[in-house]
Amino acid sequence: MQEYIKKFAEQAEVALRNLPAEEIAKAINILHACYERDGRIYVFGNGGSLALATHWVSDFNKTVFSNHLEKESRKFQAVRLPSTESELTAWANDLGYDMVFVGPLRNYLQDSDVVVAISSSGNSPNIVKAVELAKSRHVPVIGLSGFDGGKLNELADAKIKVVTPKGEYELVESIHGIVFHIMTRYFRDYFNHVAKRFEEQHHK
Amino acid sequence: MIVVRAPLRISFVGGGTDLPDFYRRSPGRVISTAIDKYVYLVVNRTPLIDKVSARYSIAETVNHPSELQHTRIKAALLDMGIHKNIEIASFGTLPSKTGLGSSSSFSVALMKALHAFQGKAIDKREAAEAASRLEIDLVGEPIGKQDQYAAAFGGFNVLQFNADESVNVEPVLIDYKKRAELESHMLVFFTGITRFASSVLTEQKKNIGDEEKFKTMQEMAESVHEFKEKLLKGDFRGLGEMLHAGWTRKKSLASHTANSIIDDFYDAGMKNGAWGGKAFRDGGCVMFLAPLENHEAIRKAVTEVARANNLEEFREIPVKFVQSGAEVLYNADHLHKLSL
Repeated sequence: MQEYIKKFAEQAEVALRNLPAEEIAKAINILHACYERDGRIYVFGNGGSLALATHWVSDFNKTVFSNHLEKESRKFQAVRLPSTESELTAWANDLGYDMVFVGPLRNYLQDSDVVVAISSSGNSPNIVKAVELAKSRHVPVIGLSGFDGGKLNELADAKIKVVTPKGEYELVESIHGIVFHIMTRYFRDYFNHVAKRFEEQHHK
Repeated sequence: MIVVRAPLRISFVGGGTDLPDFYRRSPGRVISTAIDKYVYLVVNRTPLIDKVSARYSIAETVNHPSELQHTRIKAALLDMGIHKNIEIASFGTLPSKTGLGSSSSFSVALMKALHAFQGKAIDKREAAEAASRLEIDLVGEPIGKQDQYAAAFGGFNVLQFNADESVNVEPVLIDYKKRAELESHMLVFFTGITRFASSVLTEQKKNIGDEEKFKTMQEMAESVHEFKEKLLKGDFRGLGEMLHAGWTRKKSLASHTANSIIDDFYDAGMKNGAWGGKAFRDGGCVMFLAPLENHEAIRKAVTEVARANNLEEFREIPVKFVQSGAEVLYNADHLHKLSL
């Protein structure tokens, strides 16, 4: 039993060691630029990846600013798509599952926005379709994928690919969770730093 | 209506190697960052008014773009076949001619906005290429391409200019702590001296034929790598010293790069403890990297130089680095088209 557990931990360690730090840094810069222009961040994925999207949205909209929720006048505007179950089922039932992300995204998407797409295989048709819409509008795409990255990794501007053997969903999704937490932590520390600097300058 | 903005930039080393006379012989290289000062451009469709209107420091309303005085708006509209029913207005955080690249930021924003006006989204590279073509090929300005790329891409980058006209944009991935530290060690002053950028550059271009000067330019392009390494390490003194070396090299290139007032500004900073610095283009701005404890003395000294030369517009410009490049902030033009 312990060996089984350790084996997973070891595989996770390997995947973490090979984390594409440069691509994560690029993603952070894309998010930063979006913040500067007051754009919105649309996040989506299927199944466990949709759960990751929901988790990250709450972290990003609130946790990042936890230490100065009142003071910071402008915050991130991350939105999980679709934002309601009604929309999800309406698109899926009426037009098909490949429309569940691109459908709502088409309603919302502005030139100043960013898209974060999560797909372990990188080939889910509904994800690829939504990413293609963003690309056609030159909206920056952050792609979190696994295995060999698939089509998502090809299309994304920031290519966060967790390289694993094909089918290792648990591993990929776990590492995706860590990548999201790195981004949350980076911006939380950044805004704390900005607030500290501001205070120092005004209490000189 | 469409609203676009593009940031100004601060270039550190390699300026001048983005001119074709140089990069056609040897790769040009510049390291620069976008800053939190912007040029804003508004383009408005006027379906019921068959005129072209351009509003910048003056307001022009004409029947055909060929009658416009504004060379770049005129060339862009003629080139893109937009002959009527349009208003274009520009706004800026800073006055023009600071040397912080605002004229190319304007061109990049203009290209982005006019393409959006025609229903086309263009990406960063396309915007940079279109702006370079507008300024260099269509208007014939004797300038390089670094500002167009800096404005279009945003963020901190190493730009490389290749002989085949392609440009590599390599982002410098520094974390917020080093970025903030670099910001706080930097002092930027608007000198109040405003002249055209082209005069100095023409001279620099003329001089590149000289083999020794060509070698100097090659060293400048090469030093971009070292600057990047020092930046990633957070060696601000080293960066300052490199700026000083660059300033010295640049002075050897074009005899009139700096007039004596700019030398006075620069010397005032150096005498009061700056590690190094530079003047932008014809000296619209001077910048220093200096230990924090010397900032007050430097401020005092350069303010004194400005006072002695009656430069009333002189002031310090607080600068922060930004990731944003040229961006469409608002585009409701499609709504307009639907309703008419």
